[in-house]
Amino acid sequence: MTVRVRVLALGDVPPRLAEAVLTGLPPPYGGGEAARLDVAFDRCYERPRAQVDAACLIEQLPDPEPGWALLGLTGVDLFMPALTYVFGISHLGGRRGIVSWFRLHPEETGPDAAGTLIRRVTTEAVHELGHSLGLVHCVVPDCAMHRSMWPEGVDLKRPEYCPACTEALAASH
Amino acid sequence: MMTMPVRILVVDDEQHIRNSLATWFREEGYDVSVAASGKDALAAVAREGTNILLVDIKMPGMDGLELQRKVRELAPDATIIIMTAYASVETAVQALKEGAYDYIVKPFDPEAVSRLVRKAAERYSLITENRALRERIAAASPALITSGSPAMARVIELVDQVAPTDTNVLITGESGTGKELVARLIHASSSRRFGAFVVENCGALAEGVLESELFGHERGAFTGAVGRHRGKIEMANEGTLFLDEIGDVPPKVQVDLLRVLQERTLRRVGGNETVKVDFRLVTATHRDLEAEVAADRFREDFYFRINVFQIELPPLRERPGDVPLLAEHFLQQFATQMNRRISGFTPDAMAALVAYPWPGNVRELANAIERAVVLCRGERIEASHFPFAGPPASANLSLSAVEEAHIRQILAACSYNVAQAARELDIDRVTLYNKMKKYGIERP
Repeated sequence: MTVRVRVLALGDVPPRLAEAVLTGLPPPYGGGEAARLDVAFDRCYERPRAQVDAACLIEQLPDPEPGWALLGLTGVDLFMPALTYVFGISHLGGRRGIVSWFRLHPEETGPDAAGTLIRRVTTEAVHELGHSLGLVHCVVPDCAMHRSMWPEGVDLKRPEYCPACTEALAASH
Repeated sequence: MMTMPVRILVVDDEQHIRNSLATWFREEGYDVSVAASGKDALAAVAREGTNILLVDIKMPGMDGLELQRKVRELAPDATIIIMTAYASVETAVQALKEGAYDYIVKPFDPEAVSRLVRKAAERYSLITENRALRERIAAASPALITSGSPAMARVIELVDQVAPTDTNVLITGESGTGKELVARLIHASSSRRFGAFVVENCGALAEGVLESELFGHERGAFTGAVGRHRGKIEMANEGTLFLDEIGDVPPKVQVDLLRVLQERTLRRVGGNETVKVDFRLVTATHRDLEAEVAADRFREDFYFRINVFQIELPPLRERPGDVPLLAEHFLQQFATQMNRRISGFTPDAMAALVAYPWPGNVRELANAIERAVVLCRGERIEASHFPFAGPPASANLSLSAVEEAHIRQILAACSYNVAQAARELDIDRVTLYNKMKKYGIERP
C-alpha cells in the first residue's frame, strides 16, 4: 500500500520546507506533490487568544481523492478549544491533517537551525498523517506516533513508524 | 496505552469543547464518549460503565456538582475531574471537598491534561485490578524485611535502587529463598505498582503450553482453543511480568521473548494482529545461567537482555542468625491463621531449627513451622514436631504423606533431576511438578 501525500502550503511557507517534508516522508508515503491552498485564516482566528482554531482550519481542507492524504503546513499558532495550543491536528482515519511550525522553531540560531526545524516539522507531519490513517499514540519513545508535548520532545522521535505501527498501518489498509 | 482502553466521558454543554477533548483523548487510545448535559451523562454512565468523567462545572440544568453527587451513587469507583473557567475555581474547590479527583482550568495545557488523565487512569487501575495484590504484598513482606541479617539488608538496598527504574532484573538464588517475594517488592516500590503483577512459572509447563500462557492465543489456534485468550505478557501491560525458573525456558520461547523485549509488541499464537505491550520484566532462576550459556543451553543474547541488574539471594544456611527471627514470624502467622495459642519454641526445638541446613530455604522453614503448628498440642513447639528432628511415625502416615515421602526419596536419589525422577516414578514431568507444588517440595 502506498499513500500519496499532497503537502499543502497554507499561507506563507519558508522556501523548500514543503518539498523537504515531502521528500522526508517514510513508507507507506510516496509519489506525492507540494501545492498551495488558500484558506481563510480570519474565519478561524480567535482574537482574545491571538490563535487560530485548528478544528475550524482543518475543515477548510478539501476531501482527498482515493489513494491520497492531505497535509497542510502553516506557521500560525494553533489551538483546540479546550487546549492552550497544539502542534497539529488531524481527522482520525480521515486522511487530512495540519502541522504548524509556530512552536517547533529551535531556540538556537545558525546553520543547524533550519535543519532542526525541517526535521521537527517532518516528524510531526508523519505523526499527523499517521492519525489521518487511523493510528493512535504509541508507547515506543522514538516512534513518530509517540505524543510530544514540547519541541525538544519531537527531537527524541524519528520521522518514521515503529514496527508495530508499521504493521498496524499495513493491516488496516 | 492500556490494552483494555479506559472509558472516558466528557460532559460539557459546549460542543466545541466536547469535540476537541474527544479528539485529543481518542488519539491517546482512550475509549471516549461525550454528553451535552448532566442527564445525558448519567444515562451514559449507567449504560457504558464509565471509568473517568471530565465534567464542566457550569452547565444549564444539572450543574457539575449535582452531577458528581449522582454519579457517586451510580458508580462509586468512577474518577471525576472537574473542568472550570477561572471565575468558578471556588466552586471547583467545593467539588474537590465532595470527592472530585482534581480540577483543571480551561483552556488546558496539553501536557497537564494528559498527565492528569493518565494519573486518573492509574487510580482506576489501582482500584479495580490491584486490591488483592496489595493485600498479598502487605501479608508477605514482613518475612523478608524483619530479617536483620546484613545480607538481606543488602538485598533490600538493591531493591530500593533498582525499583524506581524500568530496568530488567534477574533474581538468582536457591529455591525457596524468596525470589518471588523480592520481585513483588520491586513491583510494589516501582512506578508500575498500580499496574498488575503477573507471575508465570516457566519450569512447570511444556513448550507449547508455555507459549500460549505467555503470548496468548486466538480462537482455533489449536485444538481446545475455543476462544481468544490474553497471555500473561498482555495481562502485565503497564505492570510487571515475573518469569520464575527462566533458566527452564525452551530456546524457541527465548527467541520469542527476546523479540517482545526488543520490539515491545507481540502476536498471539495463531493470530496476525500485533499487540503493543508495555511491561517491566523481572526474572528468577536457581540455575547458573552463565554456565548454561557456556554450555549452549541458554541463548547469550537473551541472557544479556534479562540480566541488566542482578540480585542474588543468599541461602538460609549462610545466614543462620535469621532462622529464629523467621521462625518466630511464621509461628505468629500460622498460629493466628489457625487460631492456636502457641507461645514459642522449646530450647531443643529452636536448636534443631538453627542446626538444620534448610536445603529448601525460607519456604521449607515456613512449611516446617506450619506443620509444627498443626501437630502442636501444648503451648510450645517441640523438636519432635519437625520432620527432620526424628523418625516419622510411619504407622500413622496417610496415603498422601506416603506419596510425599516417596517423591522426596526419589527426587533425592536423582539429585533433584525432575525428568529423571519422573521416569523413575513412571509419571510425566508436568504431573511431578504439580505434585511437588502440592507438597511444597523444592529443588535445593
